[in-house]
Amino acid sequence: MTEPPAIGFTLQPEERMLELLGALLREEPDYYELAPETAWRPMPPDAQDGAPLEPNRYHAVFRALRAETGKPFVAHGVGWSPGSVRRDPERDRRWLERIRADHAAFAFRWYTDHLGVAELAGFNLTLPLPLPMTAEMSVIARASLAPLQRIVPDVGLENSVFYYHLGDPLDEPTFLRSVLHAPRTHLLLDLHNVFTTALNAGFEPERYLAALPLERVIEIHVSGGADSDPAWLPAGRTLRLDGHDSAVPEEVWALLEDVLPRCPNLRGVTLERMEGTVDEADVPLLREELRRARLIARGARRAHV
Amino acid sequence: MSELERLEELVAEAFQSPDPRAALAAAAEDPGLGADLRARLAGAAPDGVRMAGLLVVKLRFERLIQGSRAAGEWFGRDAAGFARAFRRYHGEVAPRAEGPVQEAHAFAEWCARTGADR
Repeated sequence: MTEPPAIGFTLQPEERMLELLGALLREEPDYYELAPETAWRPMPPDAQDGAPLEPNRYHAVFRALRAETGKPFVAHGVGWSPGSVRRDPERDRRWLERIRADHAAFAFRWYTDHLGVAELAGFNLTLPLPLPMTAEMSVIARASLAPLQRIVPDVGLENSVFYYHLGDPLDEPTFLRSVLHAPRTHLLLDLHNVFTTALNAGFEPERYLAALPLERVIEIHVSGGADSDPAWLPAGRTLRLDGHDSAVPEEVWALLEDVLPRCPNLRGVTLERMEGTVDEADVPLLREELRRARLIARGARRAHV
Repeated sequence: MSELERLEELVAEAFQSPDPRAALAAAAEDPGLGADLRARLAGAAPDGVRMAGLLVVKLRFERLIQGSRAAGEWFGRDAAGFARAFRRYHGEVAPRAEGPVQEAHAFAEWCARTGADR
């Protein structure tokens, strides 16, 4: 790591958030992260077979931001569903066509999605669900990245947050290693997901991090979350949720300080925030968080060199 | 059908059911799965499955409200009644919509068919 990693921020398709963060978006981050699907128009129910996915109005807003600032974009999708066993070829064809057009518009530096399965047997559950971490599943997840890589040469997967597991959660680092071993396939290390899963499943996050292929990490995510409503689960039990809706907890900052110097190929640290969670009072906090991430990144470079 | 395809079907059905925890526990007995996958299902944390089930429903609810002004208005004037209808809808109509517009269309069709909104 000769240069400190760049600092990024997520773009969300929400007018008020973009307005509130107008100055911050232009002044603080070095790059923007976009979930491409959030800039697509939903397919109309009467769409003809083969109808293309079209950009929505935020596509133009984000393109204008790129033109104005000259800052690079990275893509972080939510719906590719790398663990789907029976993929829908028509859906894949439409998505890849749209991703190719988006890549032409935004020149994504890399494209990542979430480990897990959200599209199961034709059901779109939206939430990435855990996979059985077997050799056969590793082949399926790896194969799902190949068509993306023909469009954006650097691709990868994020360690998702899972609220249950089909196996030992501490097997996941080895599973990720087996999925991400081809050239230019990377790990997006989401530290809030590690923190959340560790808390809910009852293990030390450091054990998980120690087993990861850190040389594969291209990007780190930091974000916040909260405990679930005690009325949701029996006996008032709560689980921590990965809501991207509040300040980055101190535990996640500590994980960032610890792990960042050990990721030699890291290119970016992204602060994530969900739409509908930013008010005027949050703007100084987000600015401070972006600056804190930058300080940690710079400090790590000095320590490494 | 491979056992991973069978697993995918079972998990999809479980998360459309009113009790995903019980449905996944039952799936752990499915003869179409080998011993390893059955054991993995049996070991899934019950509260974690419940939480994932709630989040799946919440995300579908948000997709519908985003796509349907009528659904939003119904929820605004009768949250409990809407929630009951939505639960029924979630159980009866497979979640195949890719976005808010398709979800709104599926919900409107279901309401017209069942009279749930009358």
